[in-house]
Amino acid sequence: MQIAIEDVDGGVTRVILDGRLDIEGAAAVDLKMNVIAGSSQLLLLDMQKVTFLGSMGLRSIVVPAQTVRRHGGKVVVFGPVPLVEEVLKAANIDTLIPIHHELSSALAALQ
Amino acid sequence: MLDGLTPKAEARLSLKSRLAELTLVRPWVERLAAEHGTSEEKVFAINICLEEALSNVIRHGYKGEPDHSLTVDFSASADGGLVFTIEDSAPLFNACAFRERPAPASPDEIKPGGQGIPLMRKFAGSLRWEPLPHGNRLTFGFR
Repeated sequence: MQIAIEDVDGGVTRVILDGRLDIEGAAAVDLKMNVIAGSSQLLLLDMQKVTFLGSMGLRSIVVPAQTVRRHGGKVVVFGPVPLVEEVLKAANIDTLIPIHHELSSALAALQ
Repeated sequence: MLDGLTPKAEARLSLKSRLAELTLVRPWVERLAAEHGTSEEKVFAINICLEEALSNVIRHGYKGEPDHSLTVDFSASADGGLVFTIEDSAPLFNACAFRERPAPASPDEIKPGGQGIPLMRKFAGSLRWEPLPHGNRLTFGFR
């Protein structure tokens, strides 16, 4: 599991996740995700390259998202593949973190 | 698919009760899937069900104790379905009877954990639990 971070115009932090968010993948990104959440107000989780998402991976997303929200910030998910989106929706994560498939709409939702 | 006699296992994966052992599951599933021409969607469903079920047994059933055993048996049924059966020697736990939480009233009420069994129920074609004299048998069917 790879994680990359980009600062985008407008104060948005784009976190690009690449790989499988299974138990092993979640363990690889948890600490970084929590650090990012502690210092970001506007967080775009780019999940285009996430090929698998299990319950431990959900935890890797939910905990940072709730941290950002508690600080008054916003989080969106961008571009999950259909099966990953199915997992997000099955766990009601889309009510916490809106899902967008266009980058422009994801960025607009953060403003 | 899960009615009647359980088909004879074509393959077995034996694991110790360590989360690190779960890295063995995906290559095993993918090899079987390749042999049976299984779709990408079904492989995703199988992997999510096995990861959730096995990690639940390791973390909750065996309480993280590392030297217990689990087995996963695979068989293909006559109608083309794929059947995976997990057996453990942990205390009895009926995943089929687990009561799901109601949908959260607000996003902040979403719990970070507790999604494993709902995901298994969503992605498995069928799910059956049986008590064993010294453990549990959980059988997943996928069409």
